[in-house]
Amino acid sequence: MSAQPLPTLAEAGRKIAAGELSPVALTEAAFARAEALNPKLDAFIEITAARARAAASRAEKEIAGGRRRGPLHGIPYGLKDIYDAAGLRTTAHSRLLLDNIATADAETTARLEAAGMILIGKLATHEFATGGPAFDLPFPPARNPWNTAHFTGGSSSGSGAAVAAGILPLAMGSDTGGSIRLPAAYCGTVGLKPTYGRVSRRGVAPLCYTLDTTGPLTWTVEDAALALQVLAGHDSLDPGSADVPVPDYCARLRDGVKGLRVGYCSAFNRDGEVDAEQTAALDQAAQALGHLGAEVTEVAIPPNAQFQAVARAISHSESFAIHAKDLRTRPELYARVTRERLMLGGFLTATQYVQAQRLRRILTRKVDALFETCDVLLTAIIPAAAPVLEETDDGPWRRQQPLASVFNVTGHPCMAQPCGFSKNGLPLSLQLVGRAFDEGTVLRAGHAYEQAAGWINNRPALATLS
Amino acid sequence: MPDDPHDEFAAAVRRAGVTIPPERWEQMREAYHGMQALLKVLDDPLAYEDEPMSMPRFDAGAKP
Repeated sequence: MSAQPLPTLAEAGRKIAAGELSPVALTEAAFARAEALNPKLDAFIEITAARARAAASRAEKEIAGGRRRGPLHGIPYGLKDIYDAAGLRTTAHSRLLLDNIATADAETTARLEAAGMILIGKLATHEFATGGPAFDLPFPPARNPWNTAHFTGGSSSGSGAAVAAGILPLAMGSDTGGSIRLPAAYCGTVGLKPTYGRVSRRGVAPLCYTLDTTGPLTWTVEDAALALQVLAGHDSLDPGSADVPVPDYCARLRDGVKGLRVGYCSAFNRDGEVDAEQTAALDQAAQALGHLGAEVTEVAIPPNAQFQAVARAISHSESFAIHAKDLRTRPELYARVTRERLMLGGFLTATQYVQAQRLRRILTRKVDALFETCDVLLTAIIPAAAPVLEETDDGPWRRQQPLASVFNVTGHPCMAQPCGFSKNGLPLSLQLVGRAFDEGTVLRAGHAYEQAAGWINNRPALATLS
Repeated sequence: MPDDPHDEFAAAVRRAGVTIPPERWEQMREAYHGMQALLKVLDDPLAYEDEPMSMPRFDAGAKP
């Protein structure tokens, strides 16, 4: 096994540009690490070795010939297995799609491929990006690299595990109610949910049309910026895509937070029953941002109960609409937890769905108004460090993870990143939120905090994995 | 499976057209009532002009 985690996107890009690192060697390092660690982590559903080796060889020749495509050329990445990659299976971690071969790339896949990245494999997810960790599926649930007895968070579970374990510097996730940010938080990585409409969803298995977003999980904030630079942009074939100019996300990344107005949502955190350890870590992060020159003030988000009602009514209704036929005709093919959670959407009324979409607009306006006096918001994303995998809620009515869906409801960009560790050595996390389509300020604030706090210097002690 | 026509949950299951095995009926009924309790806030009155979030957009940016 490669003794060291793969370098970050930024570091690998610099070394490749300088001729100090070969895409072929980097790809082989990813394979070696995956082969050694995946049996313990179950992060991958499929490793695409032949395809990756051919792509790495091609990249190496292009770069040697002076045709380097950009900062991500020749660097490995992975896809949550709801993203299409032409010629590969997209299973959504489900028995229903075991033979589903994609005929074209998702738009996001196509953008990463055009940037010259090397697809290493397809990654575990909660079935159809919903449900929860399940043991009655064709593939096992991913495990947390910090402690394999613990939950990765989901639904982009394999993405969080693979990035945290240093197998991949970039893995794509999707986020309908926290599914990028939760595994990022529990696995101690960065997870960026862009503004709804900023990154194409075309070619990604849908869960909820009006809430689904796609985005990257990375080890650093700078890497999230580099990935977003490639991923962001209008897609006229995605009905939810927004035609909004894409700025240079790295241009102001290092501008710091002096004078930046940070709204700290501590009442929201209490509302979400955040535990003492996580609360203390958030308080310290708020203080750290203040020490860096930000103006930190308390702000109040509308009651979480309203967001929860809106998120549940919309996500359950839309996901049932997508899965109704299969739930009626072949329900036994789903994991029990997926089946039961999806079925709940069939019990909602059209009136509840419409009322939820009406209240959603009101809540979005209220959150928009907070940005008249703030540039970013600081909130909790998880109530506590990762629970034990076997103790995660597997009932039909999910009681955990009450914090994450707020900004799916409003569509604002938000990012989870590490802010400490629990007493039992598991990552704690914070969430930064920005104005619609202002991912740049979120990344700038996150980068400043990350560099000052230094949590990224801690990797899971993989040698002690049991 | 309980099939009391006056049972709100049983009616919802019939309308959804799904089948719930008897051994999971009570858990699903509890989940149903938990969800309905959470969604109660959606009954709060809204103004006529409060339109839904997901309105069709016929601008240049998207193909409906």
